[in-house]
Amino acid sequence: MTTQADFLARIRTEMRKTRGLFAAATAPRPAAPRAEAEAIRRELAPRWPETLERFRREFERVGGVFHRVAALGDVPHLVAGLAREREARRVVAWHAAALGADLAAALTARGLDVLAMPAGELGDEAERRALRARIAEAELGLTGVDLAVAETGTLVVRSGAGRPRSTSLLPSYHVAVFDRSVLVESLRQVGVLLEAWHAPDAPPAGAVTSFITGPSRTADIELTLTRGVHGPKEVHAVFVNADIRG
Amino acid sequence: MSEGELATPFRERAGRAMRDTFLQEALGIATTKFIGLRREAFADFPEGDALRDRARAIKEAMLQRLDEHLERLAASVERLGGRVHYATTPEEARAIVLDIARRAGARTAVKSKSMASEEILLNEALEAAGVTPVETDLGEYIIQLAHERPSHIIAPAIHKTKGQVAELFARELKRRVAADPEALTQVARAELREKFLKADLGITGANFAVAETGTVVLVTNEGNGRMVTSLPRVHVAIMGVEKVVPSMTDLMIFLAILARSATGQKLSVYTTLVQGPRRAGELEGPDEFHLVLLDNGRIGELAGPLREALYCLRCGACLNVCPVYRQIGGHAYGHTYPGPIGILLTAMLSGPAAVRDLAHASSLCGACVDACPVRIDIPRMLLGLRRELDERRLAPWGERIAFGLLARLLARPRLYRLAARVGRLLQRPFARDGAVRGLPLALGNWTQRRDLPVIAPRTFQERWAALRREDRR
Ligand code: SF4
Repeated sequence: MTTQADFLARIRTEMRKTRGLFAAATAPRPAAPRAEAEAIRRELAPRWPETLERFRREFERVGGVFHRVAALGDVPHLVAGLAREREARRVVAWHAAALGADLAAALTARGLDVLAMPAGELGDEAERRALRARIAEAELGLTGVDLAVAETGTLVVRSGAGRPRSTSLLPSYHVAVFDRSVLVESLRQVGVLLEAWHAPDAPPAGAVTSFITGPSRTADIELTLTRGVHGPKEVHAVFVNADIRG
Repeated sequence: MSEGELATPFRERAGRAMRDTFLQEALGIATTKFIGLRREAFADFPEGDALRDRARAIKEAMLQRLDEHLERLAASVERLGGRVHYATTPEEARAIVLDIARRAGARTAVKSKSMASEEILLNEALEAAGVTPVETDLGEYIIQLAHERPSHIIAPAIHKTKGQVAELFARELKRRVAADPEALTQVARAELREKFLKADLGITGANFAVAETGTVVLVTNEGNGRMVTSLPRVHVAIMGVEKVVPSMTDLMIFLAILARSATGQKLSVYTTLVQGPRRAGELEGPDEFHLVLLDNGRIGELAGPLREALYCLRCGACLNVCPVYRQIGGHAYGHTYPGPIGILLTAMLSGPAAVRDLAHASSLCGACVDACPVRIDIPRMLLGLRRELDERRLAPWGERIAFGLLARLLARPRLYRLAARVGRLLQRPFARDGAVRGLPLALGNWTQRRDLPVIAPRTFQERWAALRREDRR
């Protein structure tokens, strides 16, 4: 068995033999990532309409469907419409606190079979399996968004309590709701936010951050583009014009 | 690659590929398409060139402090409750994974595309231990059903027609499906969905691992990377040591160029950042997270001639532009990693003797360097390999004798002039349209597919002497 000590010792022995290396540096990291993340948000705030427009263009280019509604209260109507057109009835949704509002009642009133995720600690393995099986049966997953990246048309979604990973993965249709506060322009800015999320004083979160750039796709059979291999075949981004968290 | 396959000489493997008309067509279409997509992606990305330089510098800086970065990565993973394992050889890596599988009582392992696991021949070992490995990348799934090997890093099944895939599914899955990519994909989705939900063990590679945070990064288009890291109870990630990157800031620079180089996308559909096992309050995610750090010849090249190959991101761009790859495809190379970078990686993993023939499967045109997101100087290293093979007398003897004679000839002007005169006489029966054709015996191998220009009626030196005489007059 190779131990860590053996392994690193061998690396150090080899490293000492290198000659004539050129000077190279890693990328300079933000000194105070959380403060810098705040600065980016402040700087972006006034030009959100341009950022949103660029996001829409890129998101549509990768095969996403963009929607715009005035307020969060309009979302259930939109979701119900999407579900009806696709003959979908079972919806799984993030917990109200993670989503920013409780939409379950309004969705149920529109004839959908809604399963909202529990807020916090879940029971044992069996209970988790049962819940996961229900997510797997759902046709539509309703989630929030942590970042919407204009440069690439990407939705960044973090896992955690009340926001299971599979809600944006197992159902055939993923509907993600966001507002201007999560818009960023570039992957560089995403880097600063990721640094901030991992800073020692950052609030706790789940173990996975997913970048979603359009619907699941493959070109593995004769290079023919096909959607919905393992993940959703449709991804809808719903922009809410009013701030979701008031 | 089965031993039987490798027993066939490279020349024969390449010849077979070149006679396979479907493969030829598929290769042409695929590589041309990828080249175009990559070019477009960088055309409207003015900062691309600067980012490539920075990415290259980060890789170099990372190698210069590899020990520290790996130590930090290990500490981060352990802080999160994950376990780190160290594998010097493929045998050791397999033993580690098998031990994890055994402890987990795993019967089925779902796998997201991982070159590192191909490299250590993990599937065969899992099967022998009673664990069924299931490849979940559609292309990999297809070739696993067909008991074949991937032919391209990015598109592993480009050598198969939709008709062949439909027949394969009918035979292996007992499902009659039309030869239509859409329908075939839906069948695979349903089959694999069941496996994901049932599997006890998820096995992935890692496109990157962030030292600072202990994050393993997986890039997929299908979403299988997300499935494999969310659903099974145990997750094992296997990665070559060179995949570590220092920070999230560095990671974003690589992400900005990786997908553009591979498929022309700005980002692949899913970039999944996995930081250890399931956290409190989470519904899914593994109870156990294991990271296997793999040496397998890499560490020995830290100060070796192939060091620069450790920058490789496995994007496949150098395959698509390589005139040799475009003719023969991935299988003919006969090893896990095909294409120009594959020759270097094979030499790194298995020693230079393994690429005796392959070292020459390059025209040294340099297209790979231009396409490579981190500008790896592949031709320089290939030349070095050829020299080493010659010096260590590993090159085929015929080749060593021929080039040895040529070297002597070039170093002796008189002998050279004499040889030119003799050659002019000898070439007469074979010279046609300015080229020497159909030489007899072993020499015929050279002229069969190449134009060997005829020796000029007068050598440069003769013409030079004549010109000087004219001048003086
Ligand atoms: S050598 Fe460069 S171009 Fe080839 S696969 Fe590696 S990173 Fe891509």
